Amino acid sequence: MVDSYLPMFLTFAISLIACTVMFTFGHFLGPKNPSPAKNMPFECGNDTEGAKFTRMNVKFYLTAILFVVFDIEVVFIYPWAVLFKGLGWVGFATMLMFIVSLLVALVYTWKKGGLEWES
Amino acid sequence: MIDLFIALSPLLTVGFGGLLLMLAEALGKPANNTGMSPDGAVVVDAGAGRSEELGLLATVILFSGAASSMGVWLADPATLGVELVSPWLQVDRYSLFFSFILCISGGLCTLLGGGYLEEHKIDRGEFFTLVVFSTVGAIALGFAGDLLTVFVALETMSLGVYCMIGLRRSSPRAGEAALKYFLLGSFAAAIMMFGAALLYAATGHTDLAGIGAFVGGLGGEASGETAMVIVGMLLMLIGMAFKISAVPFHMWAPDAYEGAPTPTTSFMAAAVKTAAFAVLLRILLIAFGDPRLMSWGAGWPPVMACLSVLSMTIANVIAGRQSSVKRMLAYSSISHAGYLLMGVCAAMRLPEEASASVMFYLAGYCISTIGAFGALILCGSRGKEAVSYADLAGIGRRHPAAAAAFALFVISLAGMPPTAGFFGKLYVFRATIDAELYSLAIIGLLNSIVGAYYYMKVLVFMYMREPIPGAPIAIPMRSSMVVSALIIAAALVVAIGVLPGALLEMAAVAAAALS
Amino acid sequence: MLPGSVVEHYLALSGAIFTLGAMGFLMRRNVLIQLMSIELMLNAVNLLLVSYNRVHAGNMTGQVFAFFVIAVAAAEAAVGLAIVLSYFRIRGTVQSDEADSLRH
Repeated sequence: MVDSYLPMFLTFAISLIACTVMFTFGHFLGPKNPSPAKNMPFECGNDTEGAKFTRMNVKFYLTAILFVVFDIEVVFIYPWAVLFKGLGWVGFATMLMFIVSLLVALVYTWKKGGLEWES
Repeated sequence: MIDLFIALSPLLTVGFGGLLLMLAEALGKPANNTGMSPDGAVVVDAGAGRSEELGLLATVILFSGAASSMGVWLADPATLGVELVSPWLQVDRYSLFFSFILCISGGLCTLLGGGYLEEHKIDRGEFFTLVVFSTVGAIALGFAGDLLTVFVALETMSLGVYCMIGLRRSSPRAGEAALKYFLLGSFAAAIMMFGAALLYAATGHTDLAGIGAFVGGLGGEASGETAMVIVGMLLMLIGMAFKISAVPFHMWAPDAYEGAPTPTTSFMAAAVKTAAFAVLLRILLIAFGDPRLMSWGAGWPPVMACLSVLSMTIANVIAGRQSSVKRMLAYSSISHAGYLLMGVCAAMRLPEEASASVMFYLAGYCISTIGAFGALILCGSRGKEAVSYADLAGIGRRHPAAAAAFALFVISLAGMPPTAGFFGKLYVFRATIDAELYSLAIIGLLNSIVGAYYYMKVLVFMYMREPIPGAPIAIPMRSSMVVSALIIAAALVVAIGVLPGALLEMAAVAAAALS
Repeated sequence: MLPGSVVEHYLALSGAIFTLGAMGFLMRRNVLIQLMSIELMLNAVNLLLVSYNRVHAGNMTGQVFAFFVIAVAAAEAAVGLAIVLSYFRIRGTVQSDEADSLRH
């Protein structure tokens, strides 16, 4: 059984050794004389300014969470779609109930202003 | 098919009622008194300022849920084609008994909320939707006969409660209470889930009856499966001990109870605890009902007995030292979990009698504790809750009706006749003694004597003390909704206390459906 | 069906992940990391369910269970982050040991 894992361990070991060797040699052999010009981001758009951590608008959070909550429900729709014929009308009615309750949640979110970006 | 819809009507009524309530809240006309955000813009929130009508609608939904539970009970669920949803949802008289209590508790809480939210300027319509959906989860927890439905129902119930605690968003205490309960609650749920996954891994079943059958078929010798079943069972018990707030898994309870708006506190103390006990009894008796797991030497009875003794003793000692009435009631609800666990222990020898006594106790406890919190709501007003004993001084002379209601519920919680609490205690103690757990019964008896002390303190302050001159005097609020909730609760407490036979008979029938 | 010895490795891995999550929850004081620890614990649950579904191959109970755990975990995370957010707006911190105003 351990044999079957051997290639994986070998891959780990070889990549670990290769990385260690390259970084060690680079660290000791490479010339180091930093200057302000060298420390600047190279051709990566504008110079950075301001604090590194800024507080984001809460709307981003709201949108992301709404996306996750509605998106994850697909987990239940896939198996149903695969077994659509076998489940028949009972399955269809059940899924309809599920979708309707999600729809109510969407209407609620909309009316409560959860989807407003401008205001 | 139609039969099945009728059988599931308690769940469907409350569930679709919750959706209706959501639409009513979102699509209704916004009230005039919408708030202002800090930068001066007018916040238009459709649900704000309409707590009376939304509260009334929620109460109607929940009480019709209770009525339909009663209807299905009378129609005999076994004849309604319920095997189609079995084992995920077990529609039997056991679950209907709990769905009835839970709907009544939820309805009383929404009535309390209808008065409280407006008075304390947290007039947000979400509260009622959350109560209704939490109640759906609680009912489903009573119905659940499979670990999958246990998990989904438990989370449905808990997620609603987390939000209800944090309803007052400007208050650091409420935010903290919500955070604490959320962290510990979901930690407990994760532990419980790992236990469930281990049980599935060992037995190949997620339905409680299947697990029970597999455990019964295990040989006596030690094997990997036996170890996994034992560990899984312990992890599940830990998770449920968090939910019923038994010592030493109670750390969140006093903080969450105190920081939450009082209607939420009453919902947590009553409905959440009742639903957790419903599923605890079902899991212990169906999945772990094997004679070896129910024995005193191995299995769950010693664990439950330890939790019971610790909960009663520690909670009673701490409750006596509180200066805040709300916190005292929080600790008192932990000690009640201790008495209830005593009944659960007794179920190892006498499953039916002990379960019936626990169910009777839960019914009385739910109504009395909601009533006590409701009376506390009535005694405070205008953004200032009555919290300390001193706030209650002299209420008995100034506002005799509010004080009389408070006194009734406190007497019921203390377990004195002629109230529901007295017979609940009586039956639980009788079941414990019949099950020959004498030392447990003696510890319980001593504890109820200690408990009487801090309940009596409320009466002493209300009737025998006068407020310190110059201290702010709490003016009781006026709300027809809170008053009607208290009247309903008081009527039920007295009715159960005077005529306990009918309810006990129902509990016995329900408990017989369990085994 | 997987040989029993292989599936026990999954049991060990899942137990290790669960323990890591539980330790992380108990030892870290940053609420966001505690939330992540809970997710880790639930993932251990999923791993256990899915791997033992191969042993009990008669039906798909384990896999379906894992779906439900995923969906509920998402809902829990949504509510949890909302609670953390509202707490941060009031207190300006996400350290759970600074949440002690109810004690006094």
